[in-house]
Amino acid sequence: MNSTFRLRDVGPLVLVLGFVFISVAPILWLTLGAFKPTADIIAIPPVWIPDFTYLQNFRDVLTQFWPFIVNSLVATIGATILALVLAVPTAFALVNHRFKGREALADWILSTRMMPPIAAAVPLFVIFRGVGLLDSLPGLIIAYAGFNLPFAVWMTMSFVRRVPKELIEAARLEGCTWWQVLKDVVLPLSKSGLAAVATFVFIFAWNEFMLALFLTTREAKTFPVVISSFVGTGRVYWEYIAAASIIQCLPPVLFTFFMQKHIVSGVTMGAVKD
Amino acid sequence: MGEIALQNIVKRFGELDVIRNISLTVKDGEFVVFVGPSGCGKSSLLRLITGLEDVSDGQVLIDGRDVTKLAPSERQLAMVFQSYALFPHLTVADNIGFGLRVSGRPKKEIRERVLTAARALELEPYLDRFPRQLSGGQRQRVAIGRAIVRAPSAFLFDEPLSNLDAALRVQMRLELIRLHDELKTTMIYVTHDQVEAMTMADRIVVLNAGRVEQFDTPIALYDAPANRFVAGFIGSPKMNFIDATAAGPNRIETSAGGLDIANLKEPLPDGRLTFGIRPEHLRYDRHVGVWSGTILVEEQLGSDAYFTVDVKSLGTLTVRAVGERGYRRGDTIFLTPDPDRSHVFDAQGRALTRPTTMASGSTAARVQTGTA
Repeated sequence: MNSTFRLRDVGPLVLVLGFVFISVAPILWLTLGAFKPTADIIAIPPVWIPDFTYLQNFRDVLTQFWPFIVNSLVATIGATILALVLAVPTAFALVNHRFKGREALADWILSTRMMPPIAAAVPLFVIFRGVGLLDSLPGLIIAYAGFNLPFAVWMTMSFVRRVPKELIEAARLEGCTWWQVLKDVVLPLSKSGLAAVATFVFIFAWNEFMLALFLTTREAKTFPVVISSFVGTGRVYWEYIAAASIIQCLPPVLFTFFMQKHIVSGVTMGAVKD
Repeated sequence: MGEIALQNIVKRFGELDVIRNISLTVKDGEFVVFVGPSGCGKSSLLRLITGLEDVSDGQVLIDGRDVTKLAPSERQLAMVFQSYALFPHLTVADNIGFGLRVSGRPKKEIRERVLTAARALELEPYLDRFPRQLSGGQRQRVAIGRAIVRAPSAFLFDEPLSNLDAALRVQMRLELIRLHDELKTTMIYVTHDQVEAMTMADRIVVLNAGRVEQFDTPIALYDAPANRFVAGFIGSPKMNFIDATAAGPNRIETSAGGLDIANLKEPLPDGRLTFGIRPEHLRYDRHVGVWSGTILVEEQLGSDAYFTVDVKSLGTLTVRAVGERGYRRGDTIFLTPDPDRSHVFDAQGRALTRPTTMASGSTAARVQTGTA
């Protein structure tokens, strides 16, 4: 730290700080706002530093809307599990089995990703109404898992492909059935990849808003939809929006943090001669 | 038991014929080496035996049972890969016991058998380590341990030593020979290294372009190669080849004069011939000989010296001189091919000679040129 301060370093520094401020400002505003009563939020001149012991906003949101947080959690965790359960065997088969039309099938799976969810929303609404899945958590889980499958399959494929071919062959010669190869060799070796896939699906499903708005009304309504309802025609509940947004941000952060421990590189080290 | 029979095996990848109609039988307990240049199909043949690749045509029999349609897991074979293929998430003990665990053996039995195998391979101190914590030689031994612990009907090795350094390779070679003597289980070993092939094999399959060129004992391949390919492939330095034509039923003509051939199986046909003589079967002298030439290069190994000799109108010939110290670059040298050890090949490369001097004593040496 003995370098002298130079004037030409100031420009980039100011630029970077400005950029950081623009990125962080909304989150900062939300965080501060979550701890303010309504009056303080709209006060002029603004109350910069709130009283962090003021937790009434959180208390209100949690007591009144906790069932929707539970809905969000169930739909998200359910969709993550369902997507993985379907994607892993699919990816394994697409990578390791030679069959006619394999490439076409893989491409087709990916192509379904190109469809914007909004295009599917109305048909999904009609179908779900027909089979009684409207405004139900299983319906949401199926929709979320479905929209994430193409991506999950492709991402899992890239991790399954990294398992050295010889390991799979060795396992088969050792007497493994294909299921055992998947369970005993490929899964343990793609753990880090699966953690990444799970994280992505989790974040998508947790933050999903539009489909939830379409497909749920009361019973299965998710938390993002609830947050949007704080913007009423008569009044905007800024303090609830702030508190709820903080709550909304927490699970993905925690989940990613937890998964990070599993995303360890170099698990295949020593498998084959490097 | 572990007799492996291939019947009219064909393997095609699209238009490309990788294996062209191979039939051969590896006897129970035999150590057979598949050898050949890269791309000859030796590894493909091994994979067809394991079932990792499906045959396009033909049958694979293990102990008389047709396993052509069976999955690799049902063939009771164990394979050691060039890359070792150890499971990186499992300890040495779990790697060795993997097959037993998969087949649902009781824990106690697995532990005992793993321990026995580990003891035999001197791996006992490393049982709790992971593959990444082992050296190349140790990893290779773990791979071998994983193969022997299941007591399969045959072991298959796919160039298992080529990732090891030279000293370790020699040591592992000896260990494998010892292992085979102990277990007496059928072993099929793929290599491109003819030293490995010659030193380890009971019998060698020489492959070229998807065909079996010759299937015989190492000594028979060396003494009586069935064709020019085998003659050139087995032996180091390579056999010398000289273009020739027939000048009578048992006399050939080269650009440096005629030669009588003593050990012909059949009269010489008309047309192009090739005369072959190994570097160690060229007698050399300072004053007398059939051909005279100048030493271009002298490679001194101590035990042997290799001379590259420029013989006018014949080109260069290689001579192996055991313990020779007396010659220098530029010296004139006279060469005479050993008549009993000479080879003549017809235009198709087929051997027309039967070298008369075989291993001492065994005049009835097996010259079975089993191209099946």
